[in-house]
Amino acid sequence: MADETTAVPAPEATETEQATPITGGKPTIDVKVYAPFNVYYEGAAYSLSATNETGPFDIMPHHHNFLCMLVPGTLAVQTPDGEKTFKLPKALLHVKADRVDVFVDV
Amino acid sequence: MRRPLEIKAEEASVRSVVSLTSALESLSTMQIAKTKNKVLISNQFFDAVWNIYKQIRVDVLFNFGRKVDEKPIDKELLILITAKGGLSGDIDQRLIRRVLERYDETKNDVLVIGHHGALKLKQAHVDATYYFDLPEKDYINVDPLMDIVRKYSQSRIFYQDYVSLSQQDIKDVDLSEVVSSKGRAADLSTLDDTVISEKTYIFEPSSYAVAAYLENSILRLTISQFIYDSRLAQVASRFKAMSAAKERSVETAKELHTEYNRAKRNQVDTRLKESLAGLKKIRAAGGK
Repeated sequence: MADETTAVPAPEATETEQATPITGGKPTIDVKVYAPFNVYYEGAAYSLSATNETGPFDIMPHHHNFLCMLVPGTLAVQTPDGEKTFKLPKALLHVKADRVDVFVDV
Repeated sequence: MRRPLEIKAEEASVRSVVSLTSALESLSTMQIAKTKNKVLISNQFFDAVWNIYKQIRVDVLFNFGRKVDEKPIDKELLILITAKGGLSGDIDQRLIRRVLERYDETKNDVLVIGHHGALKLKQAHVDATYYFDLPEKDYINVDPLMDIVRKYSQSRIFYQDYVSLSQQDIKDVDLSEVVSSKGRAADLSTLDDTVISEKTYIFEPSSYAVAAYLENSILRLTISQFIYDSRLAQVASRFKAMSAAKERSVETAKELHTEYNRAKRNQVDTRLKESLAGLKKIRAAGGK
Protein backbone atom coordinates (compact mmCIF):
# COMPACT_ATOMS: atom_id res chain seq x y z
CA MET A 1 0.00 0.00 0.00
CA ALA A 2 1.33 3.25 -0.91
CA ASP A 3 2.09 5.67 1.84
CA GLU A 4 -0.57 8.20 2.44
CA THR A 5 0.72 11.51 1.50
CA THR A 6 -0.35 14.53 3.38
CA ALA A 7 -1.91 17.07 1.13
CA VAL A 8 0.11 20.20 1.36
CA PRO A 9 -2.00 23.27 0.82
CA ALA A 10 -0.93 25.34 -2.08
CA PRO A 11 0.71 28.58 -1.03
CA GLU A 12 -1.69 31.46 -1.05
CA ALA A 13 -1.25 33.82 -3.86
CA THR A 14 -0.12 37.07 -2.35
CA GLU A 15 0.18 40.36 -4.11
CA THR A 16 3.78 41.25 -4.37
CA GLU A 17 4.49 44.83 -3.58
CA GLN A 18 6.06 46.79 -6.35
CA ALA A 19 9.76 46.77 -5.66
CA THR A 20 11.49 50.09 -5.42
CA PRO A 21 14.19 50.30 -8.06
CA ILE A 22 17.76 50.44 -6.77
CA THR A 23 20.61 52.25 -8.46
CA GLY A 24 24.12 52.38 -7.02
CA GLY A 25 22.94 50.56 -3.89
CA LYS A 26 20.35 53.22 -3.08
CA PRO A 27 16.60 53.09 -3.71
CA THR A 28 15.47 55.37 -6.51
CA ILE A 29 12.36 56.84 -8.03
CA ASP A 30 11.51 57.11 -11.72
CA VAL A 31 11.29 60.75 -12.71
CA LYS A 32 9.99 62.31 -15.90
CA VAL A 33 9.97 66.07 -16.31
CA TYR A 34 8.29 67.04 -19.55
CA ALA A 35 6.27 69.53 -21.58
CA PRO A 36 4.18 68.74 -24.70
CA PHE A 37 7.22 68.92 -26.99
CA ASN A 38 10.13 68.58 -24.66
CA VAL A 39 11.41 65.97 -22.23
CA TYR A 40 13.70 67.75 -19.76
CA TYR A 41 14.62 64.67 -17.78
CA GLU A 42 13.65 61.04 -17.76
CA GLY A 43 15.35 58.48 -15.60
CA ALA A 44 16.18 57.31 -12.12
CA ALA A 45 16.66 59.71 -9.24
CA TYR A 46 17.40 59.47 -5.53
CA SER A 47 15.19 62.41 -4.70
CA LEU A 48 13.46 65.44 -6.13
CA SER A 49 13.07 68.87 -4.56
CA ALA A 50 10.53 71.50 -5.59
CA THR A 51 8.30 74.21 -4.19
CA ASN A 52 4.53 74.49 -4.12
CA GLU A 53 2.18 77.01 -2.53
CA THR A 54 2.70 75.38 0.86
CA GLY A 55 6.48 75.65 0.63
CA PRO A 56 9.53 73.62 -0.41
CA PHE A 57 9.31 69.85 -0.27
CA ASP A 58 11.24 66.70 -1.23
CA ILE A 59 10.09 63.51 -2.84
CA MET A 60 12.02 60.37 -1.93
CA PRO A 61 11.44 56.67 -2.57
CA HIS A 62 8.29 55.26 -0.92
CA HIS A 63 6.61 58.66 -0.94
CA HIS A 64 2.84 58.63 -0.51
CA ASN A 65 0.70 59.30 -3.59
CA PHE A 66 0.83 63.03 -4.09
CA LEU A 67 -0.62 65.62 -6.43
CA CYS A 68 0.21 69.30 -6.36
CA MET A 69 0.80 72.43 -8.41
CA LEU A 70 4.33 73.72 -8.44
CA VAL A 71 4.94 77.43 -8.24
CA PRO A 72 7.40 78.90 -10.77
CA GLY A 73 10.90 78.20 -9.53
CA THR A 74 13.66 75.64 -9.46
CA LEU A 75 13.17 71.91 -9.56
CA ALA A 76 16.19 69.88 -8.41
CA VAL A 77 16.57 66.21 -9.24
CA GLN A 78 19.27 64.19 -7.49
CA THR A 79 20.24 61.67 -10.15
CA PRO A 80 22.95 58.98 -10.07
CA ASP A 81 24.95 61.33 -12.33
CA GLY A 82 24.65 64.29 -9.99
CA GLU A 83 22.12 67.03 -9.39
CA LYS A 84 20.10 68.37 -12.27
CA THR A 85 18.20 71.61 -11.84
CA PHE A 86 15.45 73.05 -13.99
CA LYS A 87 13.89 76.48 -13.88
CA LEU A 88 10.24 75.81 -14.43
CA PRO A 89 7.17 77.94 -14.96
CA LYS A 90 3.92 76.55 -13.57
CA ALA A 91 3.77 72.76 -13.48
CA LEU A 92 1.80 69.86 -12.11
CA LEU A 93 3.53 67.19 -10.05
CA HIS A 94 2.16 63.69 -9.69
CA VAL A 95 3.67 60.99 -7.49
CA LYS A 96 2.48 57.42 -7.54
CA ALA A 97 4.28 54.17 -6.76
CA ASP A 98 7.80 55.59 -6.88
CA ARG A 99 7.12 57.32 -10.15
CA VAL A 100 7.14 61.10 -10.39
CA ASP A 101 5.72 62.95 -13.38
CA VAL A 102 6.23 66.68 -13.65
CA PHE A 103 3.98 68.19 -16.31
CA VAL A 104 5.48 71.49 -17.32
CA ASP A 105 3.34 74.29 -18.86
CA VAL A 106 0.13 72.77 -17.60
CA MET B 1 -2.24 78.38 -84.58
CA ARG B 2 0.14 80.07 -82.13
CA ARG B 3 3.75 80.61 -83.07
CA PRO B 4 6.24 77.97 -81.77
CA LEU B 5 8.36 80.58 -79.98
CA GLU B 6 5.32 81.78 -78.06
CA ILE B 7 4.48 78.20 -77.01
CA LYS B 8 8.12 77.54 -76.08
CA ALA B 9 8.12 80.59 -73.79
CA GLU B 10 4.90 79.45 -72.11
CA GLU B 11 6.30 75.93 -71.67
CA ALA B 12 9.40 77.34 -69.99
CA SER B 13 7.25 79.29 -67.56
CA VAL B 14 5.14 76.18 -66.79
CA ARG B 15 8.35 74.18 -66.26
CA SER B 16 9.41 76.71 -63.61
CA VAL B 17 6.01 76.22 -61.94
CA VAL B 18 6.73 72.45 -61.95
CA SER B 19 10.07 73.08 -60.21
CA LEU B 20 8.47 75.40 -57.69
CA THR B 21 5.60 73.05 -56.83
CA SER B 22 8.05 70.12 -56.60
CA ALA B 23 10.13 72.07 -54.09
CA LEU B 24 7.05 73.04 -52.08
CA GLU B 25 5.82 69.45 -52.19
CA SER B 26 9.14 68.20 -50.79
CA LEU B 27 9.02 70.90 -48.13
CA SER B 28 5.50 69.87 -47.16
CA THR B 29 6.58 66.22 -46.91
CA MET B 30 9.31 67.18 -44.46
CA GLN B 31 6.90 69.40 -42.51
CA ILE B 32 4.34 66.59 -42.28
CA ALA B 33 6.92 64.16 -40.88
CA LYS B 34 8.12 66.77 -38.37
CA THR B 35 4.64 67.91 -37.33
CA LYS B 36 3.29 64.36 -37.10
CA ASN B 37 6.14 63.37 -34.82
CA LYS B 38 5.52 66.40 -32.62
CA VAL B 39 1.80 65.72 -32.44
CA LEU B 40 2.51 62.11 -31.41
CA ILE B 41 4.91 63.25 -28.68
CA SER B 42 2.53 65.89 -27.40
CA ASN B 43 -0.37 63.41 -27.40
CA GLN B 44 1.53 61.22 -24.93
CA PHE B 45 1.82 64.22 -22.64
CA PHE B 46 -1.84 65.17 -23.07
CA ASP B 47 -2.98 61.59 -22.47
CA ALA B 48 -1.04 61.41 -19.21
CA VAL B 49 -2.63 64.65 -17.95
CA TRP B 50 -6.08 63.56 -19.17
CA ASN B 51 -5.64 60.32 -17.26
CA ILE B 52 -5.06 62.19 -14.01
CA TYR B 53 -7.98 64.51 -14.71
CA LYS B 54 -10.23 61.55 -15.52
CA GLN B 55 -9.48 59.91 -12.19
CA ILE B 56 -10.04 63.09 -10.23
CA ARG B 57 -13.44 63.53 -11.88
CA VAL B 58 -14.55 60.15 -10.51
CA ASP B 59 -14.93 61.69 -7.08
CA VAL B 60 -18.00 63.91 -7.27
CA LEU B 61 -16.63 66.24 -4.63
CA PHE B 62 -14.19 67.54 -7.15
CA ASN B 63 -16.89 68.94 -9.37
CA PHE B 64 -17.01 71.99 -7.15
CA GLY B 65 -13.48 72.86 -7.98
CA ARG B 66 -14.41 75.40 -10.64
CA LYS B 67 -15.01 78.95 -9.56
CA VAL B 68 -17.49 81.10 -11.46
CA ASP B 69 -17.43 84.60 -10.12
CA GLU B 70 -18.56 86.65 -13.12
CA LYS B 71 -21.62 86.55 -15.35
CA PRO B 72 -20.72 85.14 -18.76
CA ILE B 73 -21.64 86.79 -22.07
CA ASP B 74 -24.82 85.13 -23.27
CA LYS B 75 -23.48 84.33 -26.72
CA GLU B 76 -21.72 81.41 -28.29
CA LEU B 77 -18.12 82.09 -29.15
CA LEU B 78 -17.03 80.48 -32.41
CA ILE B 79 -13.31 79.70 -32.39
CA LEU B 80 -11.75 79.12 -35.81
CA ILE B 81 -8.33 77.51 -36.12
CA THR B 82 -6.94 78.30 -39.56
CA ALA B 83 -3.60 78.42 -41.34
CA LYS B 84 -1.04 81.18 -40.93
CA GLY B 85 -0.75 81.88 -44.63
CA GLY B 86 -1.99 80.75 -48.01
CA LEU B 87 -0.79 77.69 -49.93
CA SER B 88 -2.75 75.43 -47.62
CA GLY B 89 -5.18 74.12 -50.16
CA ASP B 90 -8.92 74.50 -49.69
CA ILE B 91 -8.93 73.49 -46.03
CA ASP B 92 -9.51 77.01 -44.67
CA GLN B 93 -12.18 77.71 -47.26
CA ARG B 94 -14.04 74.57 -46.20
CA LEU B 95 -13.75 75.58 -42.56
CA ILE B 96 -15.16 79.05 -43.26
CA ARG B 97 -18.07 77.51 -45.18
CA ARG B 98 -18.82 75.31 -42.15
CA VAL B 99 -18.68 78.33 -39.84
CA LEU B 100 -21.03 80.35 -42.07
CA GLU B 101 -23.62 77.55 -41.89
CA ARG B 102 -23.82 78.14 -38.13
CA TYR B 103 -23.02 81.81 -37.81
CA ASP B 104 -25.71 84.17 -36.62
CA GLU B 105 -24.61 87.73 -35.94
CA THR B 106 -26.97 88.10 -32.99
CA LYS B 107 -26.00 84.84 -31.33
CA ASN B 108 -22.30 84.48 -32.08
CA ASP B 109 -19.00 86.22 -31.64
CA VAL B 110 -16.05 85.02 -33.69
CA LEU B 111 -12.48 84.40 -32.63
CA VAL B 112 -10.06 83.61 -35.45
CA ILE B 113 -6.63 82.05 -35.06
CA GLY B 114 -4.51 82.35 -38.21
CA HIS B 115 -4.18 85.12 -40.76
CA HIS B 116 -5.50 83.13 -43.72
CA GLY B 117 -8.80 82.34 -42.02
CA ALA B 118 -9.24 85.97 -40.98
CA LEU B 119 -8.83 87.01 -44.64
CA LYS B 120 -11.28 84.39 -45.88
CA LEU B 121 -13.77 85.44 -43.23
CA LYS B 122 -13.44 89.07 -44.26
CA GLN B 123 -14.13 88.03 -47.86
CA ALA B 124 -17.32 86.39 -46.60
CA HIS B 125 -18.26 89.77 -45.03
CA VAL B 126 -17.98 88.57 -41.45
CA ASP B 127 -15.93 90.61 -39.01
CA ALA B 128 -13.95 88.66 -36.44
CA THR B 129 -14.52 89.88 -32.87
CA TYR B 130 -11.07 88.65 -31.85
CA TYR B 131 -8.01 87.73 -33.85
CA PHE B 132 -4.83 85.86 -32.94
CA ASP B 133 -1.92 85.10 -35.19
CA LEU B 134 -0.84 81.48 -35.27
CA PRO B 135 2.66 81.27 -33.78
CA GLU B 136 5.29 79.27 -35.60
CA LYS B 137 6.98 78.13 -32.42
CA ASP B 138 6.08 74.80 -30.84
CA TYR B 139 4.96 76.29 -27.58
CA ILE B 140 1.67 78.11 -27.88
CA ASN B 141 0.62 80.39 -25.08
CA VAL B 142 -3.15 80.10 -25.11
CA ASP B 143 -3.66 82.16 -21.94
CA PRO B 144 -4.91 85.31 -23.77
CA LEU B 145 -7.34 83.08 -25.65
CA MET B 146 -8.45 81.45 -22.41
CA ASP B 147 -9.28 84.84 -20.93
CA ILE B 148 -11.73 85.39 -23.79
CA VAL B 149 -13.18 81.87 -23.71
CA ARG B 150 -13.92 82.24 -19.99
CA LYS B 151 -16.10 85.30 -20.67
CA TYR B 152 -18.59 83.32 -22.75
CA SER B 153 -21.31 80.96 -21.65
CA GLN B 154 -20.60 78.66 -24.61
CA SER B 155 -17.71 78.12 -26.99
CA ARG B 156 -17.57 76.07 -30.14
CA ILE B 157 -14.27 75.25 -31.77
CA PHE B 158 -13.90 74.71 -35.54
CA TYR B 159 -10.75 72.82 -36.36
CA GLN B 160 -9.05 70.77 -39.04
CA ASP B 161 -8.61 67.10 -38.39
CA TYR B 162 -5.86 65.01 -39.96
CA VAL B 163 -7.26 61.67 -41.09
CA SER B 164 -4.61 60.72 -43.61
CA LEU B 165 -2.29 62.34 -46.11
CA SER B 166 -5.12 62.52 -48.61
CA GLN B 167 -7.95 63.29 -46.22
CA GLN B 168 -8.37 66.16 -43.81
CA ASP B 169 -11.76 66.80 -42.25
CA ILE B 170 -13.37 69.90 -40.86
CA LYS B 171 -14.88 69.38 -37.44
CA ASP B 172 -16.63 71.48 -34.86
CA VAL B 173 -17.28 70.66 -31.22
CA ASP B 174 -18.61 72.34 -28.13
CA LEU B 175 -15.59 73.00 -25.96
CA SER B 176 -17.22 72.24 -22.62
CA GLU B 177 -18.68 69.03 -24.04
CA VAL B 178 -15.23 67.87 -25.12
CA VAL B 179 -13.75 68.56 -21.72
CA SER B 180 -16.54 66.82 -19.86
CA SER B 181 -16.74 63.83 -22.20
CA LYS B 182 -13.00 63.27 -22.30
CA GLY B 183 -12.77 63.74 -18.55
CA ARG B 184 -15.53 61.23 -17.92
CA ALA B 185 -14.22 57.74 -17.23
CA ALA B 186 -15.67 55.38 -19.84
CA ASP B 187 -16.16 52.56 -17.39
CA LEU B 188 -15.95 53.16 -13.66
CA SER B 189 -15.29 49.47 -12.99
CA THR B 190 -12.03 49.74 -14.91
CA LEU B 191 -10.71 52.16 -12.33
CA ASP B 192 -9.06 50.44 -9.39
CA ASP B 193 -8.72 51.52 -5.77
CA THR B 194 -5.81 53.73 -6.65
CA VAL B 195 -8.20 56.34 -8.05
CA ILE B 196 -7.07 59.83 -7.18
CA SER B 197 -9.10 60.81 -4.16
CA GLU B 198 -8.52 62.33 -0.77
CA LYS B 199 -8.37 58.81 0.68
CA THR B 200 -5.47 57.71 -1.47
CA TYR B 201 -3.62 60.94 -2.21
CA ILE B 202 -2.11 63.93 -0.51
CA PHE B 203 -3.07 67.21 -2.22
CA GLU B 204 -1.34 70.51 -1.78
CA PRO B 205 -2.53 73.13 -1.11
CA SER B 206 -5.93 71.36 -1.14
CA SER B 207 -7.90 68.88 -3.22
CA TYR B 208 -10.29 71.60 -4.39
CA ALA B 209 -7.49 73.94 -5.39
CA VAL B 210 -5.74 71.19 -7.37
CA ALA B 211 -8.99 70.17 -9.07
CA ALA B 212 -9.84 73.78 -9.95
CA TYR B 213 -6.35 74.30 -11.33
CA LEU B 214 -6.55 71.10 -13.32
CA GLU B 215 -9.97 71.97 -14.75
CA ASN B 216 -8.57 75.26 -15.92
CA SER B 217 -5.45 73.58 -17.31
CA ILE B 218 -7.40 70.93 -19.11
CA LEU B 219 -9.33 73.56 -21.08
CA ARG B 220 -6.02 75.17 -22.01
CA LEU B 221 -4.58 71.81 -23.04
CA THR B 222 -7.68 70.98 -25.07
CA ILE B 223 -7.36 74.20 -27.07
CA SER B 224 -3.62 73.61 -27.54
CA GLN B 225 -4.26 70.07 -28.73
CA PHE B 226 -6.80 71.30 -31.30
CA ILE B 227 -4.27 73.85 -32.57
CA TYR B 228 -1.54 71.20 -32.90
CA ASP B 229 -3.92 68.79 -34.66
CA SER B 230 -5.03 71.56 -37.04
CA ARG B 231 -1.41 72.34 -37.85
CA LEU B 232 -0.88 68.76 -38.97
CA ALA B 233 -4.02 68.86 -41.10
CA GLN B 234 -2.87 72.17 -42.63
CA VAL B 235 0.54 70.85 -43.69
CA ALA B 236 -1.12 67.71 -45.08
CA SER B 237 -3.57 69.87 -47.01
CA ARG B 238 -0.68 71.97 -48.32
CA PHE B 239 1.07 68.79 -49.44
CA LYS B 240 -2.10 67.64 -51.21
CA ALA B 241 -2.52 71.02 -52.90
CA MET B 242 1.14 71.11 -53.98
CA SER B 243 0.98 67.55 -55.34
CA ALA B 244 -2.15 68.39 -57.33
CA ALA B 245 -0.58 71.63 -58.61
CA LYS B 246 2.57 69.76 -59.60
CA GLU B 247 0.58 67.10 -61.45
CA ARG B 248 -1.44 69.77 -63.25
CA SER B 249 1.65 71.75 -64.24
CA VAL B 250 3.45 68.60 -65.46
CA GLU B 251 0.41 67.76 -67.60
CA THR B 252 0.24 71.33 -68.95
CA ALA B 253 3.97 71.29 -69.72
CA LYS B 254 3.51 68.01 -71.65
CA GLU B 255 0.56 69.41 -73.59
CA LEU B 256 2.48 72.58 -74.40
CA HIS B 257 5.45 70.54 -75.58
CA THR B 258 3.21 68.55 -77.93
CA GLU B 259 1.60 71.78 -79.12
CA TYR B 260 5.06 73.27 -79.70
CA ASN B 261 6.16 70.23 -81.75
CA ARG B 262 2.96 70.42 -83.77
CA ALA B 263 3.38 74.13 -84.40
CA LYS B 264 7.04 73.66 -85.31
CA ARG B 265 6.13 70.84 -87.71
CA ASN B 266 3.37 72.98 -89.15
CA GLN B 267 5.82 75.83 -89.66
CA VAL B 268 8.30 73.51 -91.42
CA ASP B 269 5.51 72.09 -93.58
CA THR B 270 4.33 75.57 -94.54
CA ARG B 271 7.89 76.60 -95.48
CA LEU B 272 8.33 73.37 -97.44
CA LYS B 273 5.05 73.98 -99.28
CA GLU B 274 6.12 77.54 -100.04
CA SER B 275 9.52 76.33 -101.31
CA LEU B 276 7.90 73.67 -103.47
CA ALA B 277 5.43 76.19 -104.86
CA GLY B 278 8.36 78.56 -105.63
CA LEU B 279 10.30 75.73 -107.26
CA LYS B 280 7.30 74.83 -109.40
CA LYS B 281 6.98 78.44 -110.52
CA ILE B 282 10.70 78.60 -111.41
CA ARG B 283 10.45 75.32 -113.30
CA ALA B 284 7.33 76.50 -115.07
CA ALA B 285 9.09 79.76 -116.03
CA GLY B 286 12.19 77.83 -117.29
CA GLY B 287 10.07 75.51 -119.41
CA LYS B 288 8.59 78.39 -121.42
